[in-house]
Amino acid sequence: MFRILILFLIFFTLSSCSSPEGTWGWYVIDPSTKAGWTNIKFLVGGFYSTILLSIIAAFLSIFIGLVVALPAMSDNKLLQLFNRVYVEFIRSIPLLPMLFWVFYGLPVILKSMGINANIDAFWGAIITLAISDSAFTAEIYRAGIQSISKGQTEAAKTIGLNYYQTMRYVIMPQALRRILPPLANQFIYIVKMSAFASVIGMQELTRRANEIVVTEYRPLEIYTLLIFEYLILVLLISFGVRYLEKKLGSNESANS
Amino acid sequence: MENTFAVEIEGLTKSFKDFKALDTIDLNIKHGEKVVICGPSGSGKSTLIRCINGLEDFDEGKISISGNTQNPKKESYVSDFHIGMVFQQFNLFPHLSVIENLKLGPMKSLGLSEKDAETRARGLLERVKIPEQALKKPNQLSGGQQQRVAIARALCMEPKLMLFDEPTSALDPEMISEVLEVIVDLAREGMTMVVVTHEMGFAKKVADRIIFMDGGSIVEQNSPGMFFKNPQTARCKKFLNQILHH
Repeated sequence: MFRILILFLIFFTLSSCSSPEGTWGWYVIDPSTKAGWTNIKFLVGGFYSTILLSIIAAFLSIFIGLVVALPAMSDNKLLQLFNRVYVEFIRSIPLLPMLFWVFYGLPVILKSMGINANIDAFWGAIITLAISDSAFTAEIYRAGIQSISKGQTEAAKTIGLNYYQTMRYVIMPQALRRILPPLANQFIYIVKMSAFASVIGMQELTRRANEIVVTEYRPLEIYTLLIFEYLILVLLISFGVRYLEKKLGSNESANS
Repeated sequence: MENTFAVEIEGLTKSFKDFKALDTIDLNIKHGEKVVICGPSGSGKSTLIRCINGLEDFDEGKISISGNTQNPKKESYVSDFHIGMVFQQFNLFPHLSVIENLKLGPMKSLGLSEKDAETRARGLLERVKIPEQALKKPNQLSGGQQQRVAIARALCMEPKLMLFDEPTSALDPEMISEVLEVIVDLAREGMTMVVVTHEMGFAKKVADRIIFMDGGSIVEQNSPGMFFKNPQTARCKKFLNQILHH
């Protein structure tokens, strides 16, 4: 595998050397030149939107996911059906069509209902990411909560706790340790999927990279930098989650 | 208003799909009475006591707790007449320490202050003879200690009736007696209790009445003396033979 990679790299470098342009063009993002520095500042400026977009979408998804997951555990068949329909339907929609639908389609629906809402690229992307992701977080919650034995709920009942108290003090603290790792995974997924927001004009990391590529004709160098920008973000999240896991004790094996 | 009976059950019937778990059960339990229920597995013993405290709903019949008729649909009830329950598998909350396990119900359900709950919990740990384990997590305790914590947790709600669902079946043999002792003490103090168990020595010692169930019905009930000396039905004789001479 490693050898193939090296071969590929050599081939790649050589072929780029013999291309009409002749050489690599790292000058487009060379911080020692004024033009290069301007480009870097522009590209890195996308961090703000990507991070804000991802965090808001993730929070909404965590909330919606819980609201969708809890009915799955009720005895009410209708509530269970709601959960199933939501999860199956939402997770079957590819992100890109959903983004188009929310951005171009939702305002039309709202208008027909008499609501004059203008959904900008930022909120269009957030709504799409949050809803699309919530189907997955809902399944994560369900798996986590159902992994807690029924005896815990029964014991809570016999000491007089109501549904909310049982969830809050007995089930969720135990489920959370099991839910956190897959939930962090979903957050990383959101950060990466936020790149789709570029197609509706959201000025985040990927959009900015595209814009520089169009003016500089240097896709290889700029997209390489873009990849490293996402890498940094994801590594930061990973470290943060590690820390949280340690605090919550998710890394200890469950013993119940 | 004090009722003579703690529990009145009339025509209680429950099915799981095609399987009739309880078949028109009639049973009255007096205040302060100690009832032991035995019988082969699948005879409906556990289902019966789980119906009493609302962990299971039932299809037909009536259950009154201290004069108050209960809804046949699943409802857990905390009232002045609280029902405590001890499970075969302890069902302690593994993420909480022993003392927190005890304090949770009184604080959240009864609205006691942290301080009052703490005092009550400490007192009960004393009573089940493990005050020194208060700050440990349940999984650091032996099975017998865990079950004693579970008993203390139930008592923390100051129940008027205690239900025990095979409290010693999941324990290693050498730990059974320490748990039974606690239950015997509780019986001496006058607690009304229904105990599902196969510990016949214990039954002889504390029970006012022994009930033998089979196939979802009460086949026979009698005082311990009569029950062991003179079983009335063939099914009961066979069961006693198996359980006493193994």
